Amino acid sequence: MSSKISWIERLAAQFGLVPRTRGLPQPERYGDDLRDFPPFDRWLELEELDSRRNPRRMAMVPTTCFNCEAGCGLLATVDVDENEIVRIEGNPLHPGSRGRNCAKGPATLNQVQDPERILQPMKRSGPRGEGGFVPVSWDEALDQIAASVRERLLSDRHDEVMYHVGRPGHEGSVERVLQAWGIDGHNSHTTVCSASARCGYQLTWGYDRPAPDHENAQLILLLSSHLEAGHYFNPHAQRIVEAKERGARIVVLDPRLSNTAARADLWLPTRPGTEGAVLLATLRLLIDENTFDRTFVDNWIDWRGYLENLHPEDAPTVERFLERFSEYLSQWTATEVEQLAGLEAGSIRALADEVARAGNRVAAHIWRSAASGNLGGWQIARAMALLTAFTGSAGREGGTSPAGWNKFKPDFFSMPEHGSRWNELIWPRQWPTSFYEMSHLLPHLVEDGVGKIGVYFTRVFNPVWTFPDGMSWMRMLRDENKVGLHVALTPTWNETAYFADLVLPMGHSTERHDIQSQETHSSRWVSFRQPIFRTLARLQGKPSSDTRGFNAGQVWEEDEFWIELSWRIDPDGELGIRKHFESPYRPGEKVTVEEQYRYMFENDIPGLPEKAAEMEMDPFEYMSRVGAHELPGESIRCHENKVEISDGFRPVVDAKTGIATVDGKAVGVAVDGAIRHGFPTESRRIEIYSRLLDEWGFGDMALPGSPESHVDPGKLDPEKGIYVLVPTFRLPTMIHSRSANSKHLMEISHANPVWIHPDEAQRHGIEDADLVRIETEIGHFVNRVWVTDGLRPGVLACSHHMGRWRLDTGPGSRWGSATVRFEDLPSGQVRLRLIEDVVPFQSKDPDSSRSWWSEAGVHQNLAFPVQTDPVSGMHCWHQKVRLNRASPEDRYGDVVVDPAKSRQVHQRWKEMARPASPELHGGLRRPRELPRPLGRSPEAYLFEQNPGS
Amino acid sequence: MTSRSSPSYGFVIDNRRCIGCHACTVACKTEHSDPVGVNKTWVQYLEKGVHPRAERAFHVLRCNHCSQAPCVDMCPTASLTIREDAIVDFDPSRCIGCKACMQACPYDAIDIHPDTGTATKCNYCAHRVDVGREPACAVVCPADAIITGDLSDPESRISTLVAGQPTMVRKPEKGTGPKIHYIEGHREALDPLASHRSVRTLWGERPRDATDREEGQELSIPRGDPRRTYDIQQRHAVSWGAKVSSYLWTKSIAAGALMVPALLAPFERTSLVDSALSLGWSIALIFLALTGVLLVLDLKRPERFLWVLLRPQWGSWLVRGAYGITLYGAVATLGWWLQASSGSSTGALLLATAALLATFVAVYTGWLFGQAKGRDLWQSALSPIHLGFQAIVAGAAILLLLKPDELSDLRGLLAVALILELPFMLLEVFGKHSTQAAAIAARSMTVGIRGKWFYLGALAAGRILPVVLIVGTTTNEMRSGLAALLALAGIAIWEHLWVEAPQRLPLA
Repeated sequence: MSSKISWIERLAAQFGLVPRTRGLPQPERYGDDLRDFPPFDRWLELEELDSRRNPRRMAMVPTTCFNCEAGCGLLATVDVDENEIVRIEGNPLHPGSRGRNCAKGPATLNQVQDPERILQPMKRSGPRGEGGFVPVSWDEALDQIAASVRERLLSDRHDEVMYHVGRPGHEGSVERVLQAWGIDGHNSHTTVCSASARCGYQLTWGYDRPAPDHENAQLILLLSSHLEAGHYFNPHAQRIVEAKERGARIVVLDPRLSNTAARADLWLPTRPGTEGAVLLATLRLLIDENTFDRTFVDNWIDWRGYLENLHPEDAPTVERFLERFSEYLSQWTATEVEQLAGLEAGSIRALADEVARAGNRVAAHIWRSAASGNLGGWQIARAMALLTAFTGSAGREGGTSPAGWNKFKPDFFSMPEHGSRWNELIWPRQWPTSFYEMSHLLPHLVEDGVGKIGVYFTRVFNPVWTFPDGMSWMRMLRDENKVGLHVALTPTWNETAYFADLVLPMGHSTERHDIQSQETHSSRWVSFRQPIFRTLARLQGKPSSDTRGFNAGQVWEEDEFWIELSWRIDPDGELGIRKHFESPYRPGEKVTVEEQYRYMFENDIPGLPEKAAEMEMDPFEYMSRVGAHELPGESIRCHENKVEISDGFRPVVDAKTGIATVDGKAVGVAVDGAIRHGFPTESRRIEIYSRLLDEWGFGDMALPGSPESHVDPGKLDPEKGIYVLVPTFRLPTMIHSRSANSKHLMEISHANPVWIHPDEAQRHGIEDADLVRIETEIGHFVNRVWVTDGLRPGVLACSHHMGRWRLDTGPGSRWGSATVRFEDLPSGQVRLRLIEDVVPFQSKDPDSSRSWWSEAGVHQNLAFPVQTDPVSGMHCWHQKVRLNRASPEDRYGDVVVDPAKSRQVHQRWKEMARPASPELHGGLRRPRELPRPLGRSPEAYLFEQNPGS
Repeated sequence: MTSRSSPSYGFVIDNRRCIGCHACTVACKTEHSDPVGVNKTWVQYLEKGVHPRAERAFHVLRCNHCSQAPCVDMCPTASLTIREDAIVDFDPSRCIGCKACMQACPYDAIDIHPDTGTATKCNYCAHRVDVGREPACAVVCPADAIITGDLSDPESRISTLVAGQPTMVRKPEKGTGPKIHYIEGHREALDPLASHRSVRTLWGERPRDATDREEGQELSIPRGDPRRTYDIQQRHAVSWGAKVSSYLWTKSIAAGALMVPALLAPFERTSLVDSALSLGWSIALIFLALTGVLLVLDLKRPERFLWVLLRPQWGSWLVRGAYGITLYGAVATLGWWLQASSGSSTGALLLATAALLATFVAVYTGWLFGQAKGRDLWQSALSPIHLGFQAIVAGAAILLLLKPDELSDLRGLLAVALILELPFMLLEVFGKHSTQAAAIAARSMTVGIRGKWFYLGALAAGRILPVVLIVGTTTNEMRSGLAALLALAGIAIWEHLWVEAPQRLPLA
């Protein structure tokens, strides 16, 4: 470039008329070819340029993304002189994400630098929910919480202490704390997310989630949108794309043209609720045309149980089973199902051909979407699981394995015993087969008098906004008689934190310790999340015992918080709590968070010490610098693994079922000349008939089926404006409740118009961008429409990602929320009304004055009643709605809800439940074979142990 | 591996892989600490077709790192350069904010940074390349859809892809040699005129820009037509506004004020020439000063205006023009100072020099605008000649206006110049245009509110009426003055229309 500088410029520079051209720094290159990342051995000492070409001394410290549940690796590059993050990239040594990220990974930098983040503990200063907060010290907050918890533990009111998590991002660390406290106080978000999907899979093969091996698949069958969202978007997407390039086919069932459907080889825009029928009709074709894996069915499908329970008179042969099962499936004929599902003729033929061609390499996934939308959605997941199994893809390379094989949950240094208490507010008897905690019903259960909450921890959890019927949450949270002390642990302001007494700032992914492992692909890994500045200081020989001080302001992390809080609850150890928080290295002293993970890495993760030794590091240093570890061993065909037989362990095989038992307990199943582990079902095989359902009052659903959804096509009437609203779809750029603090994400996506097919719009005289009023059973919301051919007729769709709000009296993330007020209407209804759109504001970030978008979307969830599936406990998200053009008094963003109706709808759905009772099922509250996130001792399941209310 | 002395970096965007996730956008923005509203890269969504055959496609758009980069040619201060490794790099410390690059770039790849007032664009993460690392977008891409590498190395992955797959580039007809190759690109996505661009997107909106119709005036999109459902604003649109069209006007006057006396000199009596000349020196100086002020004010970094002269990139017509204007200003100053008669040898020499420079000053803008490869309408070969005639019109008009009695003989010249100039203007609008963009831009000057300004203002009032006033009626001073005034107004209107019209078309 210097050669292009003219003599005039040189001369002018001599006279000082123009600046001298600065020579650009010529840093040392890693090599001739461009590489994605610097070599690992340079990570702690880099000299690179920032984007302004200033040479900077930098270090790269790995951590784990916290912006969804995929647990992708991140690599934070920090300037070691300025102590600031220069960039956040992926971690190439992370087995799941392999150095790559979605938009939410780099957006972490926005979150860390968000000018409106909470930097110190805050205490409520006015009435609950009014938005008034004043700073408080961590000490004061901890003492207040500890006293409240201790008081309840001392007075046998353990059930009043509840921890409610939205985004976990960790493996068992809080469960450990709660077990140590002796409470059954773990609540989650699963019943608004994946309960039905889990239920369908659990009933089929004894694991609650699928783990597709997309990488090696021939057919990728998705009732999900894994090229843009869901668990585990980025790790899945990269493998799906690779498989596609290799020649794999993608089939997507979705009423909406998602980005995933847009990349599919076959898109089947099914009517919501009919997906199960489509899958069963496909299965029927496979069986009738003998294009399934006969050997796998013979060995691993529980056809014996099917015949024994349904056709005991029949000869127990696989041939007879196939005849019988085909007879059963004959109710799903391709033509009729295509009509029901609103598919073009030949669609099911096409799907069956795709499945048949893929052999036993069918990687399938269902997440949210149909399973979480429909009453009986778990049957859709079950049909999916079964279809996959009949192809022989279950547990196979390129197929779909149980999640449990692809995930590893390490022990901590001290694992308290499973408690024997049972919190009815979390595990109510009405839904004995729920997956899992009945979280979406909490306000209604409290209102029903099932229990009360004394100390309520909400942890990165925003039910007021994320859950259905948010106004019932606001009512509960506002009432100090129903919720005593509400502690919000959150990195950012949200609608639920407004209703907290203490708002405690917890770190983003570069500011906290956690361990995470997810079933992203055919492998098992653990990933380490760490506060990067603290880690860097330690690696530089400057260890510290407190994460605060390394983070912005007084931002802390939960792990240290729980250790400190537990000590304050039980300072002298009399409650038996403190011992679980004492260092394994320094007896009697408070464990540090680093010791907690050091111990785990040294003792509880297979292969890690060896791997670390290869790199001449100790396991803790290895995880601190590498960030992740892939466990040795195969994670496919685990069902075929042989049960090891030793002198003291001699299984007895039942001649009829093949089940191998030791002391009456099933340990495996005899298949193909050996005793193999099989699947953790009663039959140790993949089950079609579910004895569990039969016995727990659901005999009518003991077989796979396609029950009529609450939004079944027959219940809709587009002519009269009655539609199904699909409210679950997600955008690739959004982080549920934590996008509003990322300017770059909000800039890309900031509204959720209601999608409508052009014919439907025309039918009702609606034009693109017109305002419409969508009436639900308990109220309505007002939004504009997006007329699109990317949605099938008869359906409306609205992304749930938008509609964040804040009160004019309180704090919030102004990048992405509108200012609203709540108004009590004379009708007894409550109305949320927008006062102000997103507007530019002044802050330390000049960008805050440049936000050019005005919409923040519409908070549709508020207008949804709770609709509880009697089997899975899932909140069935799809809404039967009436579409109207907006009336003159309607304003964009309005949400109106009738609280009385919200109670009525809850009660009506509750009537479908088939409760457990002390008189039934051996006095059990819940089948012991169904998992629970917070483990219980066997006796806890008995009503007599905890009679409760 | 061939010698790595001079790699040629480019991108392949593999649409078999892209999933439209926007990770590249956010990685780019955080890597460069770019503000909201600035996009060095973005992911356009395109939808077309009727349910259930509806399709959605994604296209990552950004600087093409052209091998014949028009932005580099046009940049007056060499802020934009092509590095040895073929990256089109940008140095904000040299940028004066003239926005010429935004006119030159046919792909709308350049923004003005709100903090620095300097241009900004994808530079292939040159700061990373300098240490041997790939750009941030390529590293983050979950689908590995952004492939970097050396296009000059036939063995490289990127070369293999380009050689082995059908690929497309954006606007190959521009001859810019774009180095982003799209696998499975869609014409409707890569050609900005082949799809509809609504302000509302799938999940929000984009900022309105000057290529959009007024709110409420948007045309409805026929069902199934290709349509952008995620896009960003057109940053280039009307980045040259009234100050630039006014500069064309003041410059025409400044040039014409001395071109006219020079034209008269061989044919007219010395007294008349001198009368015109004495006024001409002053007018040239005053309007050159105005021209300079307008040019400086239009810079986003006006305090750096001298860099056009002192840090020149000789290939840029901005630089050549600035030197022309400067020299012309110097001669005009000398002429005004000496006030020598055109009859004297000094005066004749000065006038001849001034006339040559004035002609250059008048016409160079045609080549300058021609350097703006993004603007098809400005690619007219006639434009310099047109500007020359226009300057004569302007010169005659201003002299006539200011000395209606002494210089009333200029009426004839004004009428002739107007008659000669008119066909050029008509050809610019109604002539055959070689590209769709030029034709659309030209047509946009003849319809709607702009059509009224064109027909009533530029054509009727600015061209025909002055001729009628001069030729068709008995002359008097008032009518001459009116004709001159109308002719000057006509030029101003025309320049404004001509400068604005192509800038109202989308480039990306």
